[in-house]
Amino acid sequence: MPVSPEKQSTLSTVEILSQGMVINVGPQHPSTHGVLRLILTLDGEQILHCEPVIGYLHRGLEKMMERRPYRHNIPFTDRLDYLAALSNNLGICQCIERLGGVEVPERAKYIRVLLMELQRIASHLVFLGTFGTDLGATTMFLYAFRERELVLDLLEECTGARLTYNWIRVGGVPDDLPDGFAEKVLAFVKVFRQRLKEYDQLLTRNRIFRSRTQNIGVLPKDLALAYGTSGPVLRASGVAYDIRKVDPYEVYDRVEFDVPVFDRGDVWARYLVRMEEMHQSLRIIEQVLRDMPDGPVQTKLPKIFKPPAGIAYSRVESPRGELSFMMVSDGSPNPVRVHIRAPSFVNLSVLPCLLEGAKVADLVAILGSIDVVLGEIDR
Amino acid sequence: MIAAVIQFFEQHPLLWTFVKAVVLASFTLMIPLAVIWIERKVAGFIQSRLGPLHVGPHGTLQTVADALKLLLKEDIVPDGADKRFFYIAPYIAFISTVLSFMVLPFAPGWVALEMNVAVLFVIGVSLFNVVSILMAGWSSNNKYSLLGGLRAVAQLLSYEIPMVLSVLAVVFYTGSLSLTEIVEYQVKHGWNIWHPPIMIAALIYFICALAEINRTPFDLPEAESELVSGFNTEYSGMRFAFFFASEFANNFFITAFAAALFFGGWDGPILPPIVWTFLKVFVMIFVFMWVRWTPPRLRIDQILRFAWQLLVPVSLVNLLFAIALGVK
Amino acid sequence: MTYFIDGLATLFFGMLVTWRNLWRPKVTVRYPYQKRPVPPRYRGLFYLKWNEEKQRLNCVGCTLCAQACPTDVISMVKLGKGTNASVSEFTMDLGRCMFCNLCVEACPFDAIYMGPVYELASERRDACLFRITDLAQGGEEAVRKNIETIQRLMAEEEKAKPAATHPAGGHAE
Repeated sequence: MPVSPEKQSTLSTVEILSQGMVINVGPQHPSTHGVLRLILTLDGEQILHCEPVIGYLHRGLEKMMERRPYRHNIPFTDRLDYLAALSNNLGICQCIERLGGVEVPERAKYIRVLLMELQRIASHLVFLGTFGTDLGATTMFLYAFRERELVLDLLEECTGARLTYNWIRVGGVPDDLPDGFAEKVLAFVKVFRQRLKEYDQLLTRNRIFRSRTQNIGVLPKDLALAYGTSGPVLRASGVAYDIRKVDPYEVYDRVEFDVPVFDRGDVWARYLVRMEEMHQSLRIIEQVLRDMPDGPVQTKLPKIFKPPAGIAYSRVESPRGELSFMMVSDGSPNPVRVHIRAPSFVNLSVLPCLLEGAKVADLVAILGSIDVVLGEIDR
Repeated sequence: MIAAVIQFFEQHPLLWTFVKAVVLASFTLMIPLAVIWIERKVAGFIQSRLGPLHVGPHGTLQTVADALKLLLKEDIVPDGADKRFFYIAPYIAFISTVLSFMVLPFAPGWVALEMNVAVLFVIGVSLFNVVSILMAGWSSNNKYSLLGGLRAVAQLLSYEIPMVLSVLAVVFYTGSLSLTEIVEYQVKHGWNIWHPPIMIAALIYFICALAEINRTPFDLPEAESELVSGFNTEYSGMRFAFFFASEFANNFFITAFAAALFFGGWDGPILPPIVWTFLKVFVMIFVFMWVRWTPPRLRIDQILRFAWQLLVPVSLVNLLFAIALGVK
Repeated sequence: MTYFIDGLATLFFGMLVTWRNLWRPKVTVRYPYQKRPVPPRYRGLFYLKWNEEKQRLNCVGCTLCAQACPTDVISMVKLGKGTNASVSEFTMDLGRCMFCNLCVEACPFDAIYMGPVYELASERRDACLFRITDLAQGGEEAVRKNIETIQRLMAEEEKAKPAATHPAGGHAE
């Protein structure tokens, strides 16, 4: 199409036929989930080549963190993966705690796990909704967001914010749970179990949905491992790798839950992993509320927090995969170097492999199933 | 007075035709106002929302406000667009819809043009829609529009065939190509839908109708999430409004056509015939909307395979049955 | 064919779900006319706590909140000295604020809090700048009274000063 008239006459038919149509998806496109840009080369409806372009949301967070005292950096992590802000908060706080050798009170650990799992449900519901609307099931979007609203109401009551919570601190959590919070969470768990059944009936069992997702975007096990993917993307390819089990943090070694693993490696498996994880999160929430001890929720720390010189690394299982922070300290109030291993960034790198030979309509299904958050990729 | 008016028009048949045409065109423009409002309300209620609320009682005038907004908008033509085709494409779509309304019997005698080959005529003019979509998609000079236009043509042509075959089953059953006669036959002999071959034909017609008016699960020519609304991406203002109006008027027409073919048209007890027609049409429109807001959409290859591998053979066999059972 | 039948059946099951939801109560909150209740911990617009008993703001101008802020939102002008001090100016540039709660946690005097007000959008940039009269509980009246109280306390201190410092001064000499 963009061939000028003069050039058009010089192109032979063979040349025109051998050229793919280059189409630019994003950065403003309804299904790229943010500001991802994909340069696709198409042959009809078939994708020949895909080149992701990232960086439209780059804010230099890692560098910003080096210029600020440790505790000032916690609210910045909210802006990484804005759909799971609490997971990021926990990641950086764990890293600082390891750096400074800070002990976390028992109750704070349970509260952290409770908030993490609520956050995981909220994040997976966003996945479910946007995935549904990508495939054309617009109603699923509104149902998922309706239930996410219930989670957000709970988190708002506990933390005071609806999206950027900033509610994990070095050495615990800022405040105890509000009164009657446990009952409200249990009431939500009861409602949500029924709603999950409804989602299954509406979407999971639907023949059209299955034909749109099964055997699409198959990611083989070795490729998934070679690219270093993690989280639901890796577990859908048949690797039982969950930081909560492999390297338990907080109280994950004391609660019982299963890690869903599927061998198919396609879009359908990635969807099922997330659906099953929501069930497991509900299980964890119930156990945590049952076992939660009384006690303080925060360790007192000096006003100016100076961890000893050294290097610390910590990882958590965010809803998108293995999120880890590395911090280097030289004994001053500011970190010398901060590095963030963002799961979405690594998971997105398999996209060109998955898209080769796929149809344009499958692009949204595959991209949706990887569930990327651009805030985290561009940092 | 009324007698004088009738006499005047009898003396000037051309004027009478003109009046009918104006009434029909404005009816075609008015119908989307109602259908869009219902669509938005039903969608809202299904999705735990309230739908339009503020303009007029329960938002009934929302569509009017939207239409006025579109009228006042700047008419943008993209650079490099094929201007002639770009200009006329929406009107072709609209005219094809108006033309199909022409032969539709709403009640005994309430038909703009009594035609003995009405069914054939409807099938013919509805194909103009495909032309307009291809023109819009190509002339926009937008790759998304082009993809949307190509998909739309492939899909509409594929589904036209089983649709026509299932309509033919009705034609053979009732032995007439005139819509009025088909309805009158049903008034005498009971609704066509109760006969097994027609039942299957109605099911196939229903599926094809979903595809013809681009509704989920067959809404991929304008797949919002991939093609950013497909062939009409570059349209704005009144031209977009005409596409939109013709789509929803088509929605009305395709159900009214089904009502005439399968559900006895205006046939029904107690209530006046015109009420029965509209009742049947709106019940069917509701079912269409209900389907639209439930499943995800199919992929283009799946849609085409479905049409050619399943619907065409089934409707062919069904047509043979209808001929065997129906022809007198 | 099985595909077709399965498709119709599962479509029908899905339609049952949407049918059930058609009759469920709707969750829409008609926002400008109808507002959700805000939980007590909600992090909205800041306010400086007014102490009715002492007729002053709790704030002593120690700048701990300004130090705790990652984005330098807070600036203040101190008024007076020691525990009798307060602020004559307290400006927050909410255009930069992340509403992260760190300043509230840093305050040892319970002076700054986050309230339930959340409709802060504006068409003007300077509307992001909240001065002490916008932030103090009780508005301009409170700020005026606060300054009066502090000035009175300072004057009292000044009066008490010669008596208190004389012996000390004597020692030093």
